[in-house]
Amino acid sequence: MHEVSIALGMLDELFRIAQENHAIKITRVKLKIGKMSGIVTDSLKFAFDAVKLEHPLLSQAEIVIEEVPLVYKCNDCHVSFNAADIYFPACPECGSGNLQLVSGEEQHIESVEVEI
Amino acid sequence: MCDTCGCDHEQSHTHSHETRTVDVNQSLLKANEDAAVSNKKHFDDKGILAINLISSPGSGKTTLLEKTIEALKDKISIGVLEGDIETDLDAERIRAKGVPAVQLTTGGACHLDSAQIHRGFHSLEHQLHGKNLDVLFIENVGNLVCPSFFDLGEHVRIVLISVPEGHDKPVKYPKAIRTSQVLIISKSDLVQHFDFDLHKIKKDALALNPSLKIIVTSAKTGEGMEEWIDFLIHRLHR
Ligand SMILES: Nc1nc2c(ncn2[C@@H]2O[C@H](COP(=O)(O)OP(=O)(O)OP(=O)(O)O)[C@@H](O)[C@H]2O)c(=O)[nH]1
Ligand SMILES: [Mg+2]
Ligand SMILES: [Zn+2]
Ligand SMILES: [Zn+2]
Repeated sequence: MHEVSIALGMLDELFRIAQENHAIKITRVKLKIGKMSGIVTDSLKFAFDAVKLEHPLLSQAEIVIEEVPLVYKCNDCHVSFNAADIYFPACPECGSGNLQLVSGEEQHIESVEVEI
Repeated sequence: MCDTCGCDHEQSHTHSHETRTVDVNQSLLKANEDAAVSNKKHFDDKGILAINLISSPGSGKTTLLEKTIEALKDKISIGVLEGDIETDLDAERIRAKGVPAVQLTTGGACHLDSAQIHRGFHSLEHQLHGKNLDVLFIENVGNLVCPSFFDLGEHVRIVLISVPEGHDKPVKYPKAIRTSQVLIISKSDLVQHFDFDLHKIKKDALALNPSLKIIVTSAKTGEGMEEWIDFLIHRLHR
């Protein structure tokens, strides 16, 4: 359950953000999690909701997770496409395996809603 | 302080609080990533090659280190940080080979993080009495999932998969494969006792990470040890 460690790391970031913005409360946290990041979004949500309760600053924070699809770009014909998984992807236009990952590995805090 | 909301205002309460959205757009693990950058700079400044070994429990990380030390101890200066949930058994095994080692016990956490490496490296320095290191090995906590999320500031990440674990591990643990530069398939002496398909594991691993270097080793027969030592020496003098 690395999601617990990640949730704990996230708390530190949120405290820092709250302090920088003189916030008295964090009400919402928006995350972007890639489909192939290796983070299980339900587990992360569960872990965050459990650890936030100890901290008045965060106890009412709602976590909103946007799952980012796996997108590749073909280096040969430059087409972009969504893929179901990372195994043996091939370009649907030209069949090339010479691809670059455009998105799908994100593990980002996008924004935080604070009360000041 | 006002009772309703815990703000700094003296009396309760006629004022209202404003809600604002702050754009953050940074990694969830930023604190660890910042610490990793500073570890790496530290290693670079001292000319140390830092190597992070990750694998499931018991894949043969400590055994590989013992063999590596036997082969290289007289040629280069090696130090080891040993990560485990409990005990300093692995650090003892390394010290028994005549190399300085610091045990980092996480007390439950299933991975090492950069702050632990920072502290561990400084206590290792105390054992060195001013001598410089060529290579710092970090043996991570036995776990094929969580350590792959935590950059330690290493130059090379090596993932071990041992034959008894099965050839399907790359597709089941893609992050470990994608974030590593080297895959060591260990305990190759056991291939005939398991239905282990070497061709398949290599093919799957390369599909996930085309630039992955793959070395097949056995601490029992010595297979692959020369290739592994050559790789290390080359990487060291690069
Ligand atoms: N047959 C065989 N056994 C091996 C080989 N390498 C290691 N072993 C055995 O595998 C067991 C585990 O090895 P370790 O080196 O302790 O594994 P580890 O990855 O350090 O384990 P943790 O630190 O607990 O995660 C020991 O009993 C080793 O003797 C090998 O190449 N062949
Ligand atoms: Mg070990
Ligand atoms: Zn874990
Ligand atoms: Zn194409």
